[in-house]
Amino acid sequence: MTDLTPIMALGGQSARTQILGALTLSETPDLALASLALRRGTVQPVPMGLPLPGPGGWTAGQGVSAFWTGPGQWMIEAVGRADTGIEQALKHAAPGCSVTDQTDGFAAIEITSSAGGAPIRALLEKLVNLDAAGFGPGSATRTGLEHMTVFVIRRSEDRLAVIGMRSLAGSLWHAVERAARHLQEGTQ
Amino acid sequence: MLIPHPLLGPRDAQEFTYLGDASLLNRPDGLADTAPEAFNDYVYLRDNPAGLHRELWFHEQGDRSWLIVTRNTVTHEILGAELARDVALAAMGGAQ
Repeated sequence: MTDLTPIMALGGQSARTQILGALTLSETPDLALASLALRRGTVQPVPMGLPLPGPGGWTAGQGVSAFWTGPGQWMIEAVGRADTGIEQALKHAAPGCSVTDQTDGFAAIEITSSAGGAPIRALLEKLVNLDAAGFGPGSATRTGLEHMTVFVIRRSEDRLAVIGMRSLAGSLWHAVERAARHLQEGTQ
Repeated sequence: MLIPHPLLGPRDAQEFTYLGDASLLNRPDGLADTAPEAFNDYVYLRDNPAGLHRELWFHEQGDRSWLIVTRNTVTHEILGAELARDVALAAMGGAQ
């Protein structure tokens, strides 16, 4: 059998990390994703003890988290479970719902700030056409970023995640990195 | 231009794509005797009002819901938005 070497979404042998001023950008290859959609007449489940968020929301539970992606639709995340996926466990926990593995379709960039929420807000203002001040912890939405479709999640005051299409991971990293670099140069 | 999304609040109009007159929701009965005339009207004939216009917008770079947006075609003022799903279900008598 052909010997294939797994590589990261950004093409490296290991996940890329870059520190730019107060912001640290990290490629997150171990994030498992699965979409969950209600079917007609099904009751909204509480999969894996996780209360599903309302429109524009993100909630975290024990090892799993979820964000709203549309009416009756959510994306479930699990850090560290990209190798095994979570669709089996999720399907079991949400009987009657449509569950689809999404892990390999997306690439995630986690952004942490060492100086509180201000650098995250400044980065949001540069990157997406959302109300950065109103996009507080627990917010998540799908929007456009340099003509790419992304999910933006405010995990906490000093943490932001940008999840984009895997085939565009390089362009997405470039956009986020350039914005963070401009912020760094502007404040120094 | 901002679209007041009923679920997500004000969102940039660039996230949306425009389809047209909201009367497209009222698809004629294809089995009726008058179906050819009805479909001719449905496909080709539109009012072109100077003023209030109800139209379909798709939140393509967002939650992918269809909205009915009420817009003033003279001033481009957006007067409101509702989920097309709710409107269509209400027109069908609330049946799911």
